[in-house]
Amino acid sequence: MSETSPKAEAAKLLPFLMLGERADLQAAAAQHVLALTGSGPGRTLLAGQAALLRSLVELAVAPPPAPARDAARALVNLAADPGLHKPLLEAEPGLPVRLLGCVLDPQWPWAEEAAAVLANLSREPVPCAALIEALAAAEPGESGLERLVRALCTPGYNARAPLHYLGPVLSNLSQCPATRAFLLDRNRCVVQRLLPLTQYPDSSVRRGGVVGTLRNCCFEHRHHEWLLGPEVDILPFLLLPLAGPEDFSEEEMERLPVDLQYLPPEKQREPDADIRKMLIETIMLLTATAPGRKQVRDQGAYLILRELHSWEPEPDVQVTCEKLIQVLIGDEPERGLENLLEVQVPEEVERQLQQQDHQEREQQELELDPGPQAEEAAPT
Amino acid sequence: MERQEPDATFDDGMDSFLEKFQSQPYRGGFHESQWEEEFEKIPLFMKNSPSEIDPLENPDLACLQSIIFDEERSPEDQARTYKDEGNDYFKEKDYKKAVISYTEGLKKKCADPDLNAVLYTNRAAAQYYLGNFRSSLNDVTAARKLKPCHLKAIIRGASCHLELKNYVEAVNWCDEGLQIDATEKKLLDLRAKADKLKRTEQRDIRKAKLKEKKKQDQNEALLQAIKARNIRLVTEAPGEDEDLASEGLSELALYGLSSENPCGARLSVDDQGRLSWPVLFLYPEYAQSDLVSAFHEDSRFIDHLMVMFGETPSWDLEQKYCPDNLEVFFEDEDRAELYCVPPSSTLLQVLQHPRYFVKALTPTFLVCVGSSGFCRNYLQGKKVHQVK
Repeated sequence: MSETSPKAEAAKLLPFLMLGERADLQAAAAQHVLALTGSGPGRTLLAGQAALLRSLVELAVAPPPAPARDAARALVNLAADPGLHKPLLEAEPGLPVRLLGCVLDPQWPWAEEAAAVLANLSREPVPCAALIEALAAAEPGESGLERLVRALCTPGYNARAPLHYLGPVLSNLSQCPATRAFLLDRNRCVVQRLLPLTQYPDSSVRRGGVVGTLRNCCFEHRHHEWLLGPEVDILPFLLLPLAGPEDFSEEEMERLPVDLQYLPPEKQREPDADIRKMLIETIMLLTATAPGRKQVRDQGAYLILRELHSWEPEPDVQVTCEKLIQVLIGDEPERGLENLLEVQVPEEVERQLQQQDHQEREQQELELDPGPQAEEAAPT
Repeated sequence: MERQEPDATFDDGMDSFLEKFQSQPYRGGFHESQWEEEFEKIPLFMKNSPSEIDPLENPDLACLQSIIFDEERSPEDQARTYKDEGNDYFKEKDYKKAVISYTEGLKKKCADPDLNAVLYTNRAAAQYYLGNFRSSLNDVTAARKLKPCHLKAIIRGASCHLELKNYVEAVNWCDEGLQIDATEKKLLDLRAKADKLKRTEQRDIRKAKLKEKKKQDQNEALLQAIKARNIRLVTEAPGEDEDLASEGLSELALYGLSSENPCGARLSVDDQGRLSWPVLFLYPEYAQSDLVSAFHEDSRFIDHLMVMFGETPSWDLEQKYCPDNLEVFFEDEDRAELYCVPPSSTLLQVLQHPRYFVKALTPTFLVCVGSSGFCRNYLQGKKVHQVK
């Protein structure tokens, strides 16, 4: 009786995963691999099998009858583990490019799964850079990034895949300054097309990705005035998900932006607490400069946040909301502190602040963001 | 080579030529009195071309025209000529003529799709400035069929949709155009404008909806208040039951509460939930009437009569209509019976009388002087009840 090690078992699967194998055998092998990716040890095992990983990628982009969907789902699970990114990319360096091709193909049925793999991969800087490089390898006409934004913003781009995971992909890509520069290009209409998606009802993944992208963009304080001005008009789109069916007086109503006036009694707030928090953080970023603060105040943000604060059930979101309200109703800071993103903090003060942070964190499990953040796709 | 004496011959010819002038009139010259008009008629010196060319009046011009619009030239050439003509009219802001020229060009049905696309697009522009936005839109749509990437057509189309208030379509056309040229400024501006207008329009719709709802809620509240007081209503519409079921009540809301009295008086409710009615007082003796626009239901008839008849009215010829003399009645039309109302009653008490039916949400009462002859005659033959 021979004891076959798990490694050997896995190696046995390899022939059945090759392209050109019988479809039913391929399908069974792919299912087996998918099952393996459901567990930590299984994933680690697979990580050591470069040839197997390579075949998996081949299958994920192969046309029917190949089990592309299961192969893609296996990749989603593998990519969810940052420790596996290196072996994946070493086994198949072309992984980002090939998956990107699938994602942007309007006919590809498993584009959503492919997008989910990219969403997981792009959380980490190395794969993210690889993806950006893949996007930059320009096709004639539209750049890859342009096409990605178009795929995200055009309803029905792919009749068989909703492409919600393009949201987190874009959010991760927006960690990179070049992506932000494209999104915030004043000679184009890019960020404006993302704004209505903050209200996208059918997917919190998409909404979260878009809001994450907007938040990362708002670290660019040189663009704040333009973002808050009429050419983009970002603030109403950030406030709308935070607004409920409030019955403001006629006078209060007239102070609000047009999109927030006379909301019907059925108006719901953003159900996902994390997204609500990101929205508040984004508005907070826009208040970093004095002109930005003025614009946010003038556009009636306080009214919406006041109502949100009394409704908000999550304590950490409520605290974030409070902090923003403080900024809006507080006095203007002293000279030298006008742009809070550029202030030089003395060492002693820095230490004290860090201590305070630590205490707060213990109390409320707050997550503080030092900079633009990445988004993760959930493993299936 | 024989060299002629040029001077001599020339002089001879010139002399005889000049002599002719003195003896014979020059027929090819202008007429002194109208030389300016005749000058204008020479095509080379024309300042303005006539809009219609009459070959009899202007043979030279007609000639030139027939050369340009020669039917023997290719359809493409002819179409191009019409296009140029249209463009000239366009520059002069004569948009109607421009449309005609472009139309003629299109009629040639030449084989050049680019030329036809330009003709359609230019005609669309002329139509736009004439305010014919739908025609303009049809033209750019035709242009795009021939040349899908014709940016000018897309910009024009988006502008038309904007004028027609189709904001969603306007944004869609802009997005299509931006796919061709992502930095086209006109499209970026149009898109931002259309988007803002769309959002403003949505706000206006929400505002109107909310207002309507509020109005309906108010009407509903009023009807509930009436119902709670057991006050009976009657609609003016024939064939309606006098005792109304709840559906009838809501019909009344549409009919009665939204239609005001000619004087604009309406049923209203105050902060304490008390009603005030518009009440009509009729004085059959002199065929006069008074409308109390807001008779609070808890106020008494006598209080109002004191004010209304503080001074006897001008029509009161016998000066007998003083508050103490007056008797107030309401009529039960169904049974043709009268009910005498004690002036110390409140309006609410009377409205709640089982035989009182409010018509058109305006309670009506008859007033006359009890002791007068008129009153006795009036009450003759009628059954009069006393309201407690």
